[in-house]
Parts: sequence; C-alpha cells; structure tokens
Amino acid sequence: MVRVVRALRWLVLAVALTSLGGCAAFYVDGHAPEVPAAQYKKPASPPEVQLVWEFQTKGVSNARATEWLKTRVQEQFSSSGLFSKVSDAPVPGGALLTATVNNIPLDNDAAAKGFVAGLTFGLAGTTVGDGYECTIRYSPAQTGASPLVKNGKHVLYTSIGTGGPPAGAQKMAGIEEAVTTMMRQLLSRTLNDLSQDPAFP
Amino acid sequence: MNTSWIRLLPLLPALLIVGCANVQLGATGATPATVERLRSAQLAPAQAGEFRLAPGKDAAMDTTLPGLRGNTLSPAKGSWSQLLKDTLVVELTAAGLYDPASSLVIAGQLVDSRVDAAIGTGAGRLAARFTVAKQGRVVYDKELAVDARWESSFMGAVAIPEAMNQYGALYKALVAKLVDDPDFRRAMAR
Repeated sequence: MVRVVRALRWLVLAVALTSLGGCAAFYVDGHAPEVPAAQYKKPASPPEVQLVWEFQTKGVSNARATEWLKTRVQEQFSSSGLFSKVSDAPVPGGALLTATVNNIPLDNDAAAKGFVAGLTFGLAGTTVGDGYECTIRYSPAQTGASPLVKNGKHVLYTSIGTGGPPAGAQKMAGIEEAVTTMMRQLLSRTLNDLSQDPAFP
Repeated sequence: MNTSWIRLLPLLPALLIVGCANVQLGATGATPATVERLRSAQLAPAQAGEFRLAPGKDAAMDTTLPGLRGNTLSPAKGSWSQLLKDTLVVELTAAGLYDPASSLVIAGQLVDSRVDAAIGTGAGRLAARFTVAKQGRVVYDKELAVDARWESSFMGAVAIPEAMNQYGALYKALVAKLVDDPDFRRAMAR
C-alpha cells in the first residue's frame, strides 16, 4: 500500500513538473564569488602538471557530468597562470593535480546550516539547495613530498512558483549557466587557496 | 514540505520524451583517488592480459544487462569484461603504470554483473576474479566484488539514468578495490 501511495505521489509530481517547469528559477549562492586569476599568487616557475578531474553525485562518480564539464575545468586550470602546462597524461617530474567536485543535496536546514560560511538558510517551501564540495590535491614533482590539499564549497538553488532564494543569491538564466557559474566560482576560490599556500608549488 | 522533486526540473526535457533508451557504456576518464593510490603504492608497471567471462557463466551476462525497466545499456566494445579491462588500463595509464611490454600481466574473469532499477531502492553488483602473472607464474588470484544501493525514483526518466550511472561507477569501484587489496599490492610491488 505504501508503494502504491508513493507511486501515485510521484505521478502527481510528474504532472506538476510538466506543467510548471517554465516557472523554475536557478540561483547561485552569493557568498562565494569568483576570485579572478589576476589575484592568484603566481609562482616564479609554474610547474607542469597532470590533471585528473571527476564530478561526483553523492560520492559516486558521475561519468556524464565529468565529461560535460571536463573542457571547462581544463581551460580554467590552464589559464590560471599557476601551471606551465596542464595535461591529461603523466608529465615529466610527475607532478599531479586532482580535482573532485561532489554534489550533495541539502535536504533540510540542518544539512544546509554551516555548509557555506555566512549562509543563512531560510528557504521557502518550494526552493531546494544543492551543495558542491570541491577538493583539489596537488602532489609536487619531488618524490616523497606531501600533497597540498585545498577544499571549497558552493550552493545552487532551484525554486519554483513563489519560492524564493536566500538573500544575495544570483539569479541565472538557466540550469547550464547556473552550473557553469557555480563551478567557475568554486574552482577559482579553491585554486586561489592553493596559490596562496607558501608550500606551492 | 518535501521539496526533493524540484531537483527534477533540470530533467524536464527528458521527462517529456520518455521512451526506451539504448545507451552504450565505455571506459571514462581516470579517477583521482585511484590514480593517487596507484602512484603512492610503489607498484611496478604492468600490462592487461585477457579479460573474459568466467567459466560456467551465462554468455549473456557479458553482453547484456537486464533490470533497467526495458531500457538497454550495452558495452561499447561488445563485452562487460572488456569494459573492466579498459577501466583498469585507463587508471594504470593515468598513474604511469601501464606498460604493454611488462612481464607483469593482470587478467580478469567476469563473475557477476547486474543492476536493478526497481522503484524505491536500486541495486547493482559487479564481481570479477583477478589474476596477476609474473613472468608466467601466477602471484595473485582473488575474486573481488562491489555492491551499490541507491534511492530509485518511480519515474523512469530519473531512475534509468541514475541506475546506468551507478552501474558504470561500479567498474571504477572494482578497480579501486583491486588497487587497495594488500595482496595485489604485494604481487605488483617494484
């Protein structure tokens, strides 16, 4: 009986989605703006690195999203000024850069509070938040050197009807702009943290 | 109010063209965590030998995948055992540990491959028997398996892509499990 009720509920929601989809709005959280590459602390001798990139959904590798975002991620790392060359394959010296972004649904206030510094999660009933955790690990060429690990977080909001986003959130034209903007801001902040580390490169 | 359904909005175009999907699955890029573990494990370069279906198993298990509500997910190169081999090669190559001329040869036999995109909870399983031969002598022989369970939607437009992704991720997870196995590391040590 429970399954039947759940199935009916999904059916109703599917109909609602089909008829209300045009009212959806996408927002990027306003507490984590992009750090321009010009503000990064540029190394005197930028290293050549191998980049291994992965997008995850709730900790599980998401092959399609990884592939869809791959070119943008590579371009952002390549144009950062922090590396002389960014390659898919192992590089001379063996410097390795890994980047992972994990999408975590923020289903309730408890999960959302504290996810991003300064975030005041007070969403209306028809708005949801999606958290994104970024981890960048830089393993320098020197054998035995400890990797540098930097983390960043960001949030996307999706609202429908009269649901409103938190104060300061930036409205995006659509889901693609929302995802790519969030990714660019998130990676820029994490890359900036890496560049400011005295141990880098 | 349960608002999880709002997350489905980006999938609206898919909802409007729901039908039977026929998708091919091939090896994807390397995995950050696996490449890091391979690099730090001080392993010798190896090549990938023969990967095939384990003896006694239904031949269809290596080429088809039931459990996707009538949708089809097929291996891009003809067999799931080949996809397992390709996944291993991608990880080894990214870690600088793939050498087609190496005397260390990793081989595999597909033991189990399944997915179930059931309403409520989805499930998937992948298992293989791996061997490592060093100059022709078997120095590692072990069966490994990985399982996954996830929340599976009533709507096929949501549940099927999720199940396909979860199944594809099992290949990376199984290779990661192999890399983490202390016996495998001993067999592959420099």
